[in-house]
Amino acid sequence: MNRRHPVNVRNQKLRLADIRRPYLKNEMKIKLLSTLLGVQIAFTAFAADDADIEALKQQIQALDQKVRILERQRENDEDTAATAAKSAPRISLGASGFAFSSGDSNFVAQLHGLIQLDSRTFFEDHGIRGNDSFLLRRARPIFTGTVWHDFDFNFTPDFGGNTVQILDAFINYRYDPALQLQLGKYKSPVGLENLQTDSYLLFNERSLATELVPNRDLGAALHGDLFQGTLNYWAGIFDGSSDYNGTTTNSAFQDNKALAARLFAQPWKNSSVSWLQGLGFGVGGSYESEDATNTISNGLTPGYTSDGQQKWFSYSSGVFASGNQWRISPQGYYYYGPLGIEGEYVVSDQNVQKGGAKADLQNTAWEISGSWVLTGEDASFNGVTPRHPFDPRKNQWGAFQLVARFAELDVDSAAFPTFATTASSAKSAEAWSAGLNWYLNRNIRANASFSRTTFDGYTGPTGTAPGQAENTFFTRLQLAF
Amino acid sequence: MIKRLFTIALISALAVSAQAKEIKLLNVSYDPTRELYQDYNEAFAKYWKGKTGDDVTVAQSHGGSGKQAQSVINGLEADVVTLALAYDIDAIAGQAKLLPKDWATRFPDKSTPYTSTIVFLVRKGNPKNIKDWDDIIKPGITVVVANPKTSGGARWAYLAAWSYALENNNHDQAKARDYITQVYKHVPVLDSGARGATVTFAQREIGDVLLAWENEAHLALKEFGADKFDIVTPSISILAEPPVAVVDKVAKRHGTLEVSKAYLEYLYSDEGQDIAGKNFYRPRSAAAAAKYASQFAQLKLVNVDDEFGGWTKAQATHFADGGTFDQIYQH
Repeated sequence: MNRRHPVNVRNQKLRLADIRRPYLKNEMKIKLLSTLLGVQIAFTAFAADDADIEALKQQIQALDQKVRILERQRENDEDTAATAAKSAPRISLGASGFAFSSGDSNFVAQLHGLIQLDSRTFFEDHGIRGNDSFLLRRARPIFTGTVWHDFDFNFTPDFGGNTVQILDAFINYRYDPALQLQLGKYKSPVGLENLQTDSYLLFNERSLATELVPNRDLGAALHGDLFQGTLNYWAGIFDGSSDYNGTTTNSAFQDNKALAARLFAQPWKNSSVSWLQGLGFGVGGSYESEDATNTISNGLTPGYTSDGQQKWFSYSSGVFASGNQWRISPQGYYYYGPLGIEGEYVVSDQNVQKGGAKADLQNTAWEISGSWVLTGEDASFNGVTPRHPFDPRKNQWGAFQLVARFAELDVDSAAFPTFATTASSAKSAEAWSAGLNWYLNRNIRANASFSRTTFDGYTGPTGTAPGQAENTFFTRLQLAF
Repeated sequence: MIKRLFTIALISALAVSAQAKEIKLLNVSYDPTRELYQDYNEAFAKYWKGKTGDDVTVAQSHGGSGKQAQSVINGLEADVVTLALAYDIDAIAGQAKLLPKDWATRFPDKSTPYTSTIVFLVRKGNPKNIKDWDDIIKPGITVVVANPKTSGGARWAYLAAWSYALENNNHDQAKARDYITQVYKHVPVLDSGARGATVTFAQREIGDVLLAWENEAHLALKEFGADKFDIVTPSISILAEPPVAVVDKVAKRHGTLEVSKAYLEYLYSDEGQDIAGKNFYRPRSAAAAAKYASQFAQLKLVNVDDEFGGWTKAQATHFADGGTFDQIYQH
């Protein structure tokens, strides 16, 4: 149904020309009834006089009318009930969460949730205490919905980890699929992996490449899908964000703003060439001119972390962002049947200052990941839907997916030693990971993976990352609805 | 720099969104106008294409006029409404404030581009010998008419019957009420709209007489065959003036204000009036009225303003909750 033109389809069929045929059908029925009636009357005629026959005829006609009236009243009652059902509020519960909707769908409220129970076990860590753990990585009630037909909202707090924070809080106005305006706090439209929904990530943690892109930010952006959804664009103005920061704030005390934009094309999405339908590529980027006197923070990343979430690089104290900062990230993915490949390259160019010393630092990172669904389901950017949801009684086991990834991040060598020191930071990191994901059904997933990260250029004490390689075994049990 | 980039992005986005697109209108109308507006929409689309080069598609929604008005009040996004009676558009203006209260002054003839009236549709040969309003309350006669609480046509029919009773009883309101009470004792089923009532009478073969829109009665003859039914014109009936209006706030929001106005204006054009006549509505223009005069019987037509003090008063007296109809109709 066209949302602007909810035409009364049932009544549309009430063109007189359209109801003529049933009438003719009915006419045949009546003729048959009349014939039978005639026969009956003929037989009756042997035993009764004309007056009796006439009375009987009238009685039958009266009864026939009563039956027709009752049938029509029933039809009208059904129509009334159907109309009432259309305007009645609807509640639904399913794999996509809870949904409450007004009868006309102008108002919709949905409740989703995401819970991730993780474990991290570090090997060859020389008995360092306190880093092997079970943890509640993410615990999010997700409230989404629509008011007045065109205004969507999302409110997502996160109770996972050690900090309760508001992750997403935004309102999106849909003028048209091609022109929408989103305001509030949400993911900055730059990094591919960062933009992938948390519940669909191949591994427990995002790769080193995501360390260089902005995380969630506050701002306003125009966005939309053009050319039948084959080109997606975002362009917005934001407070500006340092390289990936897991803890996001709800304010930014700085005068300068950042522009972030992204174009992503899926040219063959709607074509009949099946092996090209899942190809997508694009570029995201951001630009900000930062003045150290206009911010009360240093404007720099709190640090780059490894897959095991251990910090291996941070700027020295007294270093500030000063001048232009820009990022660019060519990115793409390819899905065909059970095969999935994602990759992106990121350049984060940051002007920094410490005292009188200034430098234009260019940190770079890239990642490529691949996946293969062993049970044959289609891989996609939005996860895997098992063909046979887990039910051992029926010998159904869900879907299994093998995953692998390689990533690398290089800090500009000019950062050392003035703006960062090798005594506490490495100059680069490389990480490879491999794992197995088990999709029990659309909502529950379990996965296990191993990740090894090696570091280069570090001169500090050994015994822990980045002083030695990090070897981590991850597990996760996830509920997402 | 940021401002410049943002401006470029904004202009690009707007330029992309402004690419040529098909104009879509929603005409929320009453029950028996399906055929009229199917013909008219096609003609208007050609006219508009020739005039502007734009394609316009008009979607139709039909139902009992009162019900349709309530749907618009409740959020159905009609660019234009073409309803059975002025009160229903007044309700949209008054309750939802989607158009100004003086909407009727925007087009000629109180924004009623065509008129109609209420006639009787009876079985072929008129076996129950129904000739005038008195005949429909005779014993054994079953009357089919829609629910005046939801159907505009049924309200016109109710007022036509009331007018007859007044005319024949020296304008005695009590006697008119008695008459109407009798009429509805002969009505076994109330459909929500005029088209539903036609289905009840013509297809389900219920009843002896359908109190029908004149255009609907003619259409029934055309579609079902003149060998099935006869039209009986009573001695007196009501001048039904179905109005049209642009739903300003919705049309503005959709960016269709100009085309919506043109859509209704074109109803008054030679072609629009001709289409109305072809579909058995009485055209306003003298030329079209003369062209189709032979298909309309001459009878005394009562004006709702003169006889009932206008639609607001008539609605409050007869059709509002607790009004005369609620009092006299026995379920």
